[in-house]
Parts: sequence; structure tokens; C-alpha cells
Amino acid sequence: MQRVRAGASPRSSKSPVPLWLLPPLALAIATTITALVVPSTALLPVLIAGPVATVVVAIACGEAARRGRRIAALSDESAAWQAALRRQEAETLHLADTLLPEVVARLRRGDFAEDVLASLHAPEAHLEVLRSVIDAVTAEEDLRDSAQRAFVNIARRVQAIVHQQAQELREMEDRHGHAPDVFGDLLRIDHGTALIGRLADSIAVLGGARPGRQWSRAVPLYSVMRGAMSRIIDYQRVELHSVSDIAVVGTAVEPLIHALAELLDNATRYSPPQTKVHLTAVDVQSGIAVEIEDGGVSMSEEARGRAERMLKQAQQGIDVNDLGESPRLGLAVVGRLSQAYGFQVSLRPSAYGGVRAVLIVPQELITTAAQPTGLAHGIGASSGPRTTPSVPAQRAESPAPQPAAQVPGPRAESTPAAPAAAAFEPAAAAAPAAPAAPAQPPTAPRTERPVTGPINPVDDDVPVVTERTANGLPQRRRKAPAAPAPEPERPAAEEASDGVQPGMWLAAFQSGLSGETSGAAPAATGNGPRADHEPDAPSASASKGNEQ
Amino acid sequence: MNSDEPHWDGGGGPERLYVITGGRSGSSAKTTLDLVTLIVARSGPRPGMQPEQAAIVRICQRPLSVAEISAHLSLPVSVVTVLLSDLIADNRVFSRPPVPPAKLPDIALIEAVIDGLQKL
Repeated sequence: MQRVRAGASPRSSKSPVPLWLLPPLALAIATTITALVVPSTALLPVLIAGPVATVVVAIACGEAARRGRRIAALSDESAAWQAALRRQEAETLHLADTLLPEVVARLRRGDFAEDVLASLHAPEAHLEVLRSVIDAVTAEEDLRDSAQRAFVNIARRVQAIVHQQAQELREMEDRHGHAPDVFGDLLRIDHGTALIGRLADSIAVLGGARPGRQWSRAVPLYSVMRGAMSRIIDYQRVELHSVSDIAVVGTAVEPLIHALAELLDNATRYSPPQTKVHLTAVDVQSGIAVEIEDGGVSMSEEARGRAERMLKQAQQGIDVNDLGESPRLGLAVVGRLSQAYGFQVSLRPSAYGGVRAVLIVPQELITTAAQPTGLAHGIGASSGPRTTPSVPAQRAESPAPQPAAQVPGPRAESTPAAPAAAAFEPAAAAAPAAPAAPAQPPTAPRTERPVTGPINPVDDDVPVVTERTANGLPQRRRKAPAAPAPEPERPAAEEASDGVQPGMWLAAFQSGLSGETSGAAPAATGNGPRADHEPDAPSASASKGNEQ
Repeated sequence: MNSDEPHWDGGGGPERLYVITGGRSGSSAKTTLDLVTLIVARSGPRPGMQPEQAAIVRICQRPLSVAEISAHLSLPVSVVTVLLSDLIADNRVFSRPPVPPAKLPDIALIEAVIDGLQKL
């Protein structure tokens, strides 16, 4: 093509007479004229030299013209080559700068390799390159995926074991609650288990999964914050300040606990061991701000920038393989969780000299304390609702406590009257807890007392009194069967009149023995329970119906 | 995230017992608290109190034994003991220990008194 064009230009210019013929023609004419003009003596040399010169000039001119054409053709050709080269260079640049990154990005996003390839427009050779790149990237992504899945899978298994163990430890703690030495050891094991659990949670989060267990109900913020404290080594250094009375919705409980635990861990780890770490939660316009302030070394502006960068980077997704040899999981985990659940995290210098981490929980993850915060938050709170259903059950068929009745429904949120009822029926409430806890703390005194002989008089008198009150501590319960009638209302009313002072008679008895007079207390409390009790009895009997 | 992930729920709050007691097990503190020691609150719960302590103060408006408190809160006795010793140290509650054996009058003495009275 280029050749054709190169040959075309000279042809068009020599259309009338080839230019190079002019000098030989002129020479020929000049020779002819000279031959006519010169005298005859000079004619012979002219006739010889003229044509020869003409022929030589013609040949030289022809050759010069041919070369000229050739040079023009060649320079045209080289220009074309250069243009092609530039075009190819541009295409290669496009491939490297635009096409390849786009393809890789799309593959990372999860597009199928075939789709990506089909949508590309590029020269065949480049497509070939792209095809092999796509193959390589896909293989790498598959490898990474399976590695990540393996991570998460293992973390899940560890989490399951840790959870199981935590539950068993809680049972053991209940069982050995009266033996402080054993109990102390159990607490230490419990703590260690919680630390393992946090590590497993971190790995799961970095692998793109949820942390740990899921909660189907809202949990008070106070419990959440203590839950976070449970999972760090130096929880004793954390000072928990007053917290507004709100709860966190179930789905956000575990992520929030985990994010706070990581921040607390950072705070305790990077501050001197004798300093305190302050943990507070305050209401802000956009939700609740949880502040973690430590008195450690202040972060330099550069370190702070790095940390915040790390948080940001984590929000865009983290590669487990990129974490390095001694990974600092903390901020990465926090960033990941923040991104997934909409927490806002910022790190600032603290007034105490250390770092002040603020985590803002958005409004939509917060609810008013859904659970009637009965007797206490958290563990203690579960006892509030739990005791109520069992109260009537206990009354109706008194001697046999029903472990099955209260164990399955530990958190009956449907009984708002529960805390009040439980609070005023100590003896009845104590009874169901006894079968739940194998240690049976209330019965313990009975077995121990005979050893300490002289207290016996106290013990001996107990049954006499309890037969009248009809709802006693576990040891008194054995004498109770006669008292409670089949219909629950009557004993309830009866109890309202004289069963309201479950500990009172004992107090009076003891104060009588020790010669003290605490007349004020019984007088003050004697009326209170009665008023609270009577409205309670019907609801209690109603919930008994539900229970059975 | 996935439905096939384990759904753990039920059984306790997120906090563990060592956080409630601040790591103490009650073994070091030689308290006079017994299972039958009666506890009475001096005043109502204050804001800012640890919830468990507030709960103790609330239910102890009338005297309750340590064992009963433990059952109410579903907390092991050791935990309750630790919480109570804090409350006692803060003068929020006062405890009424069971009558120590030494304070009980000697049986022989009572018998002597009875004999003396009968002889009157």
C-alpha cells in the first residue's frame, strides 16, 4: 500500500514530459545547432562529442531522477512505519494503564472472566495478553478465596469451642461459687478463654465473616461495654463510667463488643501499666459516642495519620495475606467492623496525654432499653424475669421444684412485673435458683450447721416458723407441702399478709438474741410489700398458666 | 451474614463474672460474710452504681441473707460476697452476722438459772 502511494507521486508530476529528459534534449539541440554552424573542419569532433555527451547526460539525469523517486518513496515508507509504531505504542500504553487495571479490578469485584474478556476491544495480540493475565488473576483470586475461607472456617470452629467452654465455665462458676479458691481459678480460666475467643473473632472478621455469636435481643449498652472489657487482658485497669440507659440492637451487639474490645486492648497495651483507661458513653446527635481514653504516650501526628489511614484502608477491605508476619490486627478489625456496621471511629490526642478513641454508634443501632432492666444488667438481669414464672409454679405444687420450668425460659421479656415480683418474694425466688445451681447455696447452711454445734438452736427453730409462712428457703420447703392449696390465689393472699417478711422473722429472732432493736426496719417494710403484692398475685398466676 | 453460620444465643449476657468482681474471687478478702449473714441496705440505690450493686441495695431494703441475694441475682456466692464487701466498705449496707457461738449463753448456765428459778 505504501509502495503504491510512493510510486504514485512522481508519476503524477512527470505527466507531460519527464523532467530529467530536458538537459539531454537541450544538449542534443545544442549539438545539432553547433554542427550546422561550425566550419566543416570542426564538424567531425562535434558530431562525435555531441551525441556522446548527450547520451552521457541523459543517462546521468535518468539515474538521478530514479534515485530521487526512490528516496521519496523510502521516506514516505519510513513515515508510515513511524506512524504505525506510535499507534502501537499508544495501544500498549492503553493496555498497561487502563485495560489491565480495569480487568483486574473487575475480576476482583467478582465479575466472571468470560464476561470481562467479551467486553474488551483490543488488537488480537493484546487480547491474548489479557487472556493470560485474566487466567493468572483468577487463579490467584481462587487461591486467596480458599485461603480466606479456610481461615474463617477454622476461626468458626475455635469460636464454637470457646463458646461452649464459656458456657461450661459459667456452670462451673455457679457450682463452685461458694469455694473462693476454686472460683478464683475458674475466673482466670474464664478470662483466658475469652481472650482466645477474641482472637478467633478477629480472624473471622478479617476473613469477611461476622464476629462470634449473634444476639436475638437488644443488650444494654452497659453490658456491651463490660462485655468488651471481658475480652482484654488488662480489664482491671479499665474504669467504666456511667452510661446512659440504652440498649444496642441484637445484630450490632457482637460487632460493637468486638470493636470496643480491640480499641480497649490498644489503649491498655500502649499505656503504662499503672494508669487507668477511661471508658464512657455519651449521647450525641448522631447516636452514642463511646470514648476510650488512656494516659499513655501520645500519638505523634504521623502515627495518628498512619493509624487513621489503616482504619480507612481496612474499610476498603483487607487482604488476610497482606497482614505481614506480626500482624497488628486491632485497627484492621475495627476498620472492617466500622465499615460493615456504620460505626465512626476517630483517634485523637487525649487530655490525659494519651490517645482518645471515639466510636460513634449510629442512631439506628440503638434502642431504648428493651429489656426491663430488672435487678441488674447482664447476668444479674436474667434472674429478674426468670424467677417470676417459677413463683406460682412453686406455690401450686410446692414441694417439687421444677428445674425444667425455669431453665428453658431464662429471659422471659414478656413479664414487666417480674423485677418487682421477684424482689418481694425472696424465698420463693431463691428456691428455683437452687435446683438450677447444683451447689445449692441455700441448702448449704443446713449441712454445715450441725458441725458448728451451738448455732443449732437457730436452726432448730426455723421449721416451726416456716410452717406458718408457707414459702421458705429450700430447707424449709420440705415442710411446706401441707400449706399451699391447689388454687394459687389463696396462698398468694395469705403470703401477702404474713409471708412478706421472709427474712424478717429471722432478723427479729437474731436481733432479739443479740439484744439489738431494729424496730424501724420491720415497721417500714411491713406495709410496702403488701401493697405491691396483691396486684402481683393475679399476674403471677397468669404467667404460671403460660409456663405449663 | 450467612444463614448457615452458627446462631448462638441464650445463656447470659456478654460480660463475664470476673469483670463484675473486678477480678477478685473473694478468697483474699477475709470477710465475715456467711451464707446466712443478713444484709440490709442503708439507703436506696444511687446512680452510677454498678448494676449488680444497685440491685443488691434495691432488694435488700428488707433484710436478706447472702444466699438469697445470690439466688436472686443468679450470681455465685463468691461474686455476691465480693460485691457485698465493697458495699459494706462504702457503708451502703450493713451486715448482721449470725450470732457467733461465743455469744450464746452456756447451756449449763441456763440450766443453772432454770434450776434456780424453780427453786424459788
